[in-house]
Amino acid sequence: MRTTRATFHLLVAVVALHAGGALAMDEPIKPLPITSNQDPARVKIGQALFHDARLSANGSVSCASCHDAKHGGADSRAHSVGFGGKSTAVNAPTVFNAALNFAQFWNGRAASLEAQVDAVVQNPVEMGSAWADVLKKLAADANYAAEFSRAYPDGITKANVQNAIASYERTLITPNSRFDRFLRGDEAALSDTEKKGYAKFKQYGCIACHQGANVGGNMYQRFGVMADYFEHRSAMTEADMGRFVVTGDENDKHVFKVPSLRNVALTAPYFHDASASTLSQAVDVMFRYQLGRVAPAEDKAAIVQFLGTLTGDLPKDSL
Amino acid sequence: MNAQRQHQWLSMALVSVVLAAILTFLYMRSYGMDDTAYFENVALLRDLKQLDARRELAVLKSRMGLSLNYDALVDQLSELEGLSQRLVTALRVDDGEAGPALMHASESLHSALMEKKRLIEHFKSHNSVLRNSMAFLPTAAADVRTATRNAAHESNAVRPMAVDVNNVLLAVMSYSQAPNESDAIQIAADVQALSQRRSSLSADGADALDVFASHVHTVLREQPLVKQLLDDISVVPTSQGIDAINNLLNDRQRVVEQRNGQNRMYLMIVATALAGLLLYAGTRLIRSRALIDRVNQQLCEVNAGLEQRVVERTEELSVAQGELLAAARQAGMAEIANNVLHNVGNVLNSVNVSAGLVSSKVRESKLQGLVKAVQLLDSHTADLGGFLTSDEKGKVLPGYLSKVTGALSAERQDIVDELDKLTKSVDHIKDIVATQQAYSGSVSTVEVAKLSDLFEDALRMNAGALSRHRVGVTCSAEGIPPLLLDKHRLLQILVNLISNSKNAMEGVADRTGQIDLRARVVGEDDDERRVRISVTDNGCGIAADHLSRIFVHGFTTRKNGHGFGLHSCAIAAKDMGGTLTVSSDGCDKGTTFTLEIPYRSTVQERVAEYA
Repeated sequence: MRTTRATFHLLVAVVALHAGGALAMDEPIKPLPITSNQDPARVKIGQALFHDARLSANGSVSCASCHDAKHGGADSRAHSVGFGGKSTAVNAPTVFNAALNFAQFWNGRAASLEAQVDAVVQNPVEMGSAWADVLKKLAADANYAAEFSRAYPDGITKANVQNAIASYERTLITPNSRFDRFLRGDEAALSDTEKKGYAKFKQYGCIACHQGANVGGNMYQRFGVMADYFEHRSAMTEADMGRFVVTGDENDKHVFKVPSLRNVALTAPYFHDASASTLSQAVDVMFRYQLGRVAPAEDKAAIVQFLGTLTGDLPKDSL
Repeated sequence: MNAQRQHQWLSMALVSVVLAAILTFLYMRSYGMDDTAYFENVALLRDLKQLDARRELAVLKSRMGLSLNYDALVDQLSELEGLSQRLVTALRVDDGEAGPALMHASESLHSALMEKKRLIEHFKSHNSVLRNSMAFLPTAAADVRTATRNAAHESNAVRPMAVDVNNVLLAVMSYSQAPNESDAIQIAADVQALSQRRSSLSADGADALDVFASHVHTVLREQPLVKQLLDDISVVPTSQGIDAINNLLNDRQRVVEQRNGQNRMYLMIVATALAGLLLYAGTRLIRSRALIDRVNQQLCEVNAGLEQRVVERTEELSVAQGELLAAARQAGMAEIANNVLHNVGNVLNSVNVSAGLVSSKVRESKLQGLVKAVQLLDSHTADLGGFLTSDEKGKVLPGYLSKVTGALSAERQDIVDELDKLTKSVDHIKDIVATQQAYSGSVSTVEVAKLSDLFEDALRMNAGALSRHRVGVTCSAEGIPPLLLDKHRLLQILVNLISNSKNAMEGVADRTGQIDLRARVVGEDDDERRVRISVTDNGCGIAADHLSRIFVHGFTTRKNGHGFGLHSCAIAAKDMGGTLTVSSDGCDKGTTFTLEIPYRSTVQERVAEYA
């Protein structure tokens, strides 16, 4: 044990020596993959299911009801409306590139897209269905029966329905954003302001959390690192507790999954509580509560412009 | 001997079955000890260990700022999680002796990995914040310095603030390299002192100082957290857990290998035993094969001898059969001869009678008287006339001569009659001989005859004997038309039956013998119509136990009989398409023989011819 620790510290020291030279090695944001290898038959079923309101108890809402292609795969409403007319606890995150998130939901309670589907279908506010009923409804459809039996050895099952939808969602990637083209070497893809915005984005520390291929979506962070975001909140909801709901750990209070900033220009309103209706408002909130810094308005505007370059090619025949 | 051998075979079969069962069991056991699971698990563990190490490295890179995003960490995390889950599943299905311990070890490893994951998530969050603040701190300090420099024109007192801020910045920098509590307390106190002087600053300067202070606090707050997290991450016993599982697996594999070796030894022993058994059975088989060959050869020899003997015996048999045939032929010839002699003998009776009569007639002939008369005439040839007229003797001579002549002619007539009968009898004898020459009797001469005539002939042939024994005879054959008959056969039968009846009278003294001959037609329909002829006597009768044998060849009750007559009668009756039956009420009650032959009238015969 002691030796392990000693080795570890030695390693820290060694790595630290090389840290300075390595910083400029590469960009913290990576371009999105252009292809996703999914079974076309399953994707086709998943696409149909994604738009099928039969997944909800009363046939009133489908996945697409809240994950709207016109709004970057998210909901333009602050809170989505479930099958029974009730509002959801949080603002619907985008389905685009969701496959690249390390966990699903704002509080990361679902480890996979399949688990996310499972939770939403059974959520008493969102779809309110029992799987047995859903499967019965789907099995009654000759098309589904035929396509499932083609795509899955065991036909229509709960796991296969979830997998089909997840397979479809894994194809909902938005590659070739201008910023990705820039990352791939196309200097002309960004305007000077946008390049400046990217520099500010890194310089002010946004990049500390919004990094990786998905520009976020690969870690958790407390909402309100430098100041108490919830200080002036009149009524705290369970959703505001973040990961605490999942882990019960005091340290996880108000900790949320860092959302991806891909297509962020399309997915207003922002934050789990939809408290920011514009991108610049959201950037202001981030500066105040997450970075604990003040910045000139032009820097923030440049950052907002940069964020606009993260909008990629939306899936053609999607949603 | 046989039972013992059977017992031996049975025990051998039993032993081989037991050996085969053990072999199967050992095979199954060795099949159960699949090495692939072990190697898969070890490979899984190795991958796990590698990934875990790489994850730690990724954590360090993030800490050092070598890696600018957490994607690698996330990818490795999900991969690691999958491997860990697979390991738990793989070890769960394992149900060896080390099963519970392995289960426990794998579960604790899984929870250790999960704990490490949790710590890493926290590390990511805190590290980001710490790094941000650390990166920003010099800028923040510069902002404060700029603000104080601007304010320096107004107040000299503020001058040392820039120095203090720089000192704090340096202290934080060194703290971040080698954090310790006392430094932290010192820095916190310094920042506190700085903050107390913010009122002397301009609004911008105060804000900049606040930002600086908050980031210093953030560093002070996050640095030990991150350090603690790193320490925690390094001591999460993942590699120990992996090693523990590895050791458990190795231990078990060693046991398995030991058992495998044992198994191999057992297998070899059992296989050797089986081979020995097989060898034994083989030698037994070869030995018994030799025995079989020997016995076979012996059998072949015996067989050849037997065949030879059979040939000999067959030859002997055919010779014997030839002899038998000859004997039978001789017997048949004797039978025929007997038959002929018997029948001829019967007729010869009447021939004798006729000859006797003729000879007695000739002996007692009146010819002597004629001879004397002629001598008388001869002596008187000189005076023949005188003699005839005057002489006493001569006077009666003519009358005498006529009487003699009459007597002689009567005699001659008698003799002629008797000779006629004689001729008939001789004819019958001739017929018998002719009939017997035909032997089989299939040759039959059918002619028209009257039954009453046949009765008469038959009686006449026995006439001598009948009259000698004073036997009374009644005859009735009225109303029967002349029939188509095998006359000689029927006559032979009748003569025989009458002769039998006559013989049956011999021992009877208390009554006079009586024979009834009767013939009548029975049956309504033309086709079924038959002639029934019965010969009944009141003689000694036949005992019941003799009745059934009466027609058997050679059966007789008379001392000098040959048991042939009735047998030949029955055969003759059969030849004529008829039957001969006997009935007797018992000893001394008389006997009735009944002959039934087909009724064939002359008319019927003609109709039949036309048909």
